[in-house]
Amino acid sequence: MRRIVPIAISLLTLFVDPFARAQGLVDGFMRGQRKASLALTYSQESFDSYYVGTREIRDPNLGTVSTQSLNLYATYGLGYDLDLIVNAPYVRTEASAGYWPKQEGFQDLTAALRWEAYDYKFGKTRLSWLFALGYSLPLQNYVIDAPVTIGHGSRNLDGRTMLHFKAGAFFLTGQYGYIRRGAVSLDRVANYYQPDNLNPNSGSKVNVPDVTDIVVRSGFSTKYFYVDGWWQQQSPYSKGTDIAPGIPYPTNAVGFTRAGASLYVPLIRKFGLTGAYSTTLDGQNVGKSTRLSGGFIIGL
Amino acid sequence: MKTYASLFVTLSLLTGLSACKEPTIDEGILPFVTPTSTDSTGGTWRTVLLTSAADIAVPQPAATTSDAYQSELTAVKNGLLSATPEQNTAVNYWAAGSVQRWNQIARLLVSKYNVDAAYDEATGQYAPYDATKPVASAPYAARLYALLSVAQYDALVVSWRAKFRYNRPSLERQGILARVPILDVPSYPSEDAAVAEASCQVLAYFFPGETAWLKAKAAEHKQSRVWAGACVPSDLKAGEELAAAVAAKAIAYARNDRFDRARDPNSTWESLRSRAPYDLTWKSLDIPARPPMLPLAGTTRTWFDSTAIARALPAAPPATTTPAFQQALAEVRDLANTRTRDQWRIAEFWSDGSGTYTTPGHWNRIAEDLVRQYGQNELRSARTYALVNRAMQDGATVGWRTSFTYFVPRPSQVDPAIKTAVRIPNMPGYPSTHALLANAATTVLVYLFPNEAEVLKAQAAEATLSQLYGGVQYRFDIDAGARSGTAVGQLAVGWASADGAR
Repeated sequence: MRRIVPIAISLLTLFVDPFARAQGLVDGFMRGQRKASLALTYSQESFDSYYVGTREIRDPNLGTVSTQSLNLYATYGLGYDLDLIVNAPYVRTEASAGYWPKQEGFQDLTAALRWEAYDYKFGKTRLSWLFALGYSLPLQNYVIDAPVTIGHGSRNLDGRTMLHFKAGAFFLTGQYGYIRRGAVSLDRVANYYQPDNLNPNSGSKVNVPDVTDIVVRSGFSTKYFYVDGWWQQQSPYSKGTDIAPGIPYPTNAVGFTRAGASLYVPLIRKFGLTGAYSTTLDGQNVGKSTRLSGGFIIGL
Repeated sequence: MKTYASLFVTLSLLTGLSACKEPTIDEGILPFVTPTSTDSTGGTWRTVLLTSAADIAVPQPAATTSDAYQSELTAVKNGLLSATPEQNTAVNYWAAGSVQRWNQIARLLVSKYNVDAAYDEATGQYAPYDATKPVASAPYAARLYALLSVAQYDALVVSWRAKFRYNRPSLERQGILARVPILDVPSYPSEDAAVAEASCQVLAYFFPGETAWLKAKAAEHKQSRVWAGACVPSDLKAGEELAAAVAAKAIAYARNDRFDRARDPNSTWESLRSRAPYDLTWKSLDIPARPPMLPLAGTTRTWFDSTAIARALPAAPPATTTPAFQQALAEVRDLANTRTRDQWRIAEFWSDGSGTYTTPGHWNRIAEDLVRQYGQNELRSARTYALVNRAMQDGATVGWRTSFTYFVPRPSQVDPAIKTAVRIPNMPGYPSTHALLANAATTVLVYLFPNEAEVLKAQAAEATLSQLYGGVQYRFDIDAGARSGTAVGQLAVGWASADGAR
């Protein structure tokens, strides 16, 4: 049971980008050889204001944008120090005002490998150093260039490293990641004005800015419950654009600061319930969203 | 073993982190095009703003044997030996074609200025109009592209007349090896200087805030031709002077074409709406409601015969109570409810709304590909743009005049459950200006590039349907737009068949 507890941590935090209903793929807890867990969660997220550049605005033509997602998340221990993590969300999003249609469908499939490279014991405490490498790609050709979309459609390569410290029930994890996002093709010629790009004759292919990601998470993990609080800062690494008004244009530089908490309670043997909350403190070209989610986890 | 593996992973992660910065939007590099013809009779072609090329006198150049010319020539030769990388960049940039480059610059500025007034949350109002930042929406852009290409075309006809009258031999014929392909026409006056000056002045008239930037561009353009070994400074000066005279004509035309009232600051369109011969009239679907886009743009002076233009106006649309209308509405509703990803793509591809170079800009881009593909020289490409853009501006005028006569509501106004794949243009819907402009532009382009008829017609058909797919137009909007557009395009074809260019 202990083994499946930590999955709750990652499940309930927004990880990769504002669109990623995909969950935190990476936490500091390893699954263990030939052990697997499966989680199904539902989340509800909404925002009524968003950032154009770093300026927060409200658009009466969008009202409140709300998103529901159903997440399937599985991990499997390939070895005592190597886990495979797979995630696929089904997402539906719509705006309360205006005439943009709701968008719905499978978003991105993500697969990641997590490797516990070093493990040090100091008395009763443990410090481990982990690496993870993930790749995600859209499961279908969903709309990426409209005020209401389920994702930005890029293929991403995500590399990260983390330090995980555990002393009894207490744990503290810090991680740093770099997400390289591939170019995407728009449905049209990219001809928005860009001071850096004085040739409006470019094609439909545009770059999605890469980001860096820092997450600090701390909490208690016991036999009877798991609870954590976390803080995440994602910052654009490439320069990117601030194309307004309120269109999640793929070249926009996206960043945010979010904080949240999650809880996991095991019920019977290998079955437990989980719930989480997160909110956006600050951002850049992203919705100021609040998110609530819940679900169950089964250890296999 | 494990240590090596971890070292490898650590290193590869670090490599990933130091990944090179990518450009936000890639721009392609296109090869230079060598024009297929010199059009030596170009000086006799029919001009648009001028009565004929003879309206503007170009002074006789100094003889090639004169000391003044020989010293200019030596300076160019020496310059070629000591070119800096910056000069080479400029040379290569402008060698792509001066008409083409200035058309791109115009599209760039249109997309920069095609920004709706911002909504202010605190006051609940849209930002007031700022005359230094005109909103370059479709009719504004159509007029800009038309005036720009007409000024370029007239300036080039004048240049061509002087070139073949004075026959100052090209530098290449005097043993200078230019850095880029140069059209083999007499070098005096410089066609590049003519295009640079005319374009700079016309664009500065539209965007006074960009004057300094445009002047710098024009200066670089002119100088780049000396660096390239295409002409000497006295060629530039003559081109610049004749173009300034043409630009003055273009700006005088712009001051008197009645477009200045298009924005309708006193909202006289509301009285037009109350008198509209239609049973349910348009209202803005923006929240909060916004005055429509340039309501009086339909009163603009037309390039082609105004009586013929009036005949191209669409007939009255079916009233909302008629079965024809209900059927059209049901079609939009069904399409919106079952819209495929490909229909969405088509709607989006042709939408060219706020923030873009607009629909006329899109057809300029398509024209550019053809101009390049067929290796048209500067004069001939200016003619292509001038024909297409005049047809499109008149098309926009026809569209706006009709829209603000009938005030037909958009589908989502009649049935708010209709969701759209593109932003609903803030103006009455009938006829579809996308259909109108597509058919006006392609009618002209098919005439100019008959081998491309099939592709162009397919593009026109897709553009015509696009906004029905988008959920913002009825079938009768696009049918009426296509008919009017073709009629306006035919007027331009009539002009083109008698302008002296074969």
